[in-house]
Amino acid sequence: MTQPFLSINGIRKNYGNVTAVKNVSMDIAQGEFMTFLGPSGSGKSTTLYILAGFQDPSGGDILLNGQSLLSTPSHKRNIGMVFQRYTLFPHLTVGENVAFPLRIRRRPQAEIAERVKAALKLVRLEGFEDRMPALMSGGQQQRVALARALVYNPPVLLMDEPLSALDKKLREEIQFEIRRIHQETGVTILYVTHDQEEALRLSDRIAVFSQGEIDQIGTGPELYSNPATRFVAGFIGDSNFLDATVVTSNAGKAKLALGDGAVVEGVPLHGPSAASSRASLMLRPERLSLSRVSVPSGIAVTVRDITFLGNNVEVSTATPAGVDLAVRLPFGHEAISSLARGEQAWLTFDTASAHAFA
Amino acid sequence: MAVTVVTGAVKTKRGATLGYLLPALLLIALFFIVPVLMLLMRSVLEPEVGLQNYKALLGSTTYLRVFLNTFLVAGVVTLVSIVVGYPVAWLLAIMPQKWSRIVLAIIILSMWTNLLARTYAWMVLLQRTGVINKTLMGLGLIDTPLALVNNLVGVTIGMTYIMLPFVILPLMGVIRTIDPAILRAAALCGAGKMQCFLRVLLPLSLPGIAAGALMVFVMSLGYFVTPALLGGTSNMMLAELVAQFVQSLVNWGMGGAAALVLLVVTLALYAVQLRYFNPARGT
Repeated sequence: MTQPFLSINGIRKNYGNVTAVKNVSMDIAQGEFMTFLGPSGSGKSTTLYILAGFQDPSGGDILLNGQSLLSTPSHKRNIGMVFQRYTLFPHLTVGENVAFPLRIRRRPQAEIAERVKAALKLVRLEGFEDRMPALMSGGQQQRVALARALVYNPPVLLMDEPLSALDKKLREEIQFEIRRIHQETGVTILYVTHDQEEALRLSDRIAVFSQGEIDQIGTGPELYSNPATRFVAGFIGDSNFLDATVVTSNAGKAKLALGDGAVVEGVPLHGPSAASSRASLMLRPERLSLSRVSVPSGIAVTVRDITFLGNNVEVSTATPAGVDLAVRLPFGHEAISSLARGEQAWLTFDTASAHAFA
Repeated sequence: MAVTVVTGAVKTKRGATLGYLLPALLLIALFFIVPVLMLLMRSVLEPEVGLQNYKALLGSTTYLRVFLNTFLVAGVVTLVSIVVGYPVAWLLAIMPQKWSRIVLAIIILSMWTNLLARTYAWMVLLQRTGVINKTLMGLGLIDTPLALVNNLVGVTIGMTYIMLPFVILPLMGVIRTIDPAILRAAALCGAGKMQCFLRVLLPLSLPGIAAGALMVFVMSLGYFVTPALLGGTSNMMLAELVAQFVQSLVNWGMGGAAALVLLVVTLALYAVQLRYFNPARGT
């Protein structure tokens, strides 16, 4: 078996009694775009900072091409990084900022000039060499930071929520640039974000962090269609959750009772599967269909609100127990023509597309 | 900074603001500008009209030596204050606030303690039979007591101690504004601790260094008590010379001339600082 390019093995980090990172392990292939996705305090940034060498782990190891990085100080790791805040050196021009890593490495003057030019071209800021960072927009500053982090051809580029200070439009523009740069340079990128849309847009694979641990690693479609935990199901995409009781379970498929008499069969069950244990049934809004006549295994609901969203219409419904269920239907769908608030309806779904979490 | 704000206000409500400013302006005129002008007058009028006082002052090697000594002491004190004060300011800027408050309180308390008392304390500590010499001899590091007082060493030690807060406070303010993430970025760019300091931290704290250095240098130029008590007779400073002219020799002409030379040098330095390190204009 070939050794992985970058390997994170059982990283732990404790601050006194508090455990910020519990047991994080993953292998990352060369040239891969891996995103650490999770809410704040989930350990994703701490893991990145351990990779950068700003923090020492309490346990575990990080191997780059089979060599441990932990005993190497930050400035010798040869890793690139773009930060959440603007970290250009304010006393240096854009050109001097990008040249900084090369000057530190004592590269010859001609080579520095050439590589600075190429790096600025890569981020589409040619001709900005003499500009002071304070006179640039936030998006431009982050692009210069990207050029500075790539100019010395690091094997790995770390990005710690680099777009969180930018507005939405600019963010999408730079996301596009980051994808292009990733494709052009082939650099391995580890990207931290709490924004699921950003993660889905950019990444080859996503590691979902929750409470210091990785819940699941996979591609966007994998995480969406086959979430391993309730947390992943709730974090990636929109989802409804309905309390249920396990009636029987067999080979990862369960028969569930939904409280008001409805029983569904063949739902993929994740977690311990004892009969009569409580479970949470996850239903994607676009996988639900709505019927205005009674359906035997349907969930009886009352229509609360109907929102037009362009190509979609979102119908907010509630079960008799008061659980909100959102249904997303294509605009013009026959079931919703002249549908009114307060009306009775029945929701059905393809059991294979639902997931239950015990 | 403060100046910019005032001019802005004057532009918007010129008449009203001037009215409010009038008492303060009168106070400055009466107690600052008028006496300085009177001193200037006396320096060119006494004992007779002409520039003979300035000629005597700048022409004599004795007086020139006093000038040189003054600049030497002020320069050395400034340098030592920055070198000693920078690490303290840096520590204060990065340590947790509950600790930095305590250390800051100690520094400021020392400023509030009577100057004369502090200077006499240094005399006791530094003298031939003082604690410092006795300790060093007790440890066997020296055989004969070091001459730590009544010379340049004594003046430098005593004045650096007094001037340190004036370096530490502005430097701390500037260093606190430097985002630690910038230093992390420098580290990942490959800069070791020394390069981070020389290429990033030091250039970014330059405005604080300039402000502190100017303050200390200018204050040192006109310092009287500490040089008089801790310095020797062979290294007299300008303020002592002025005191001697006025008090012992009752020569207001020469005293005024010496004081004005000091003022001109100070203003020139201030102009340089404003030109090159004014934060309002950007460095």
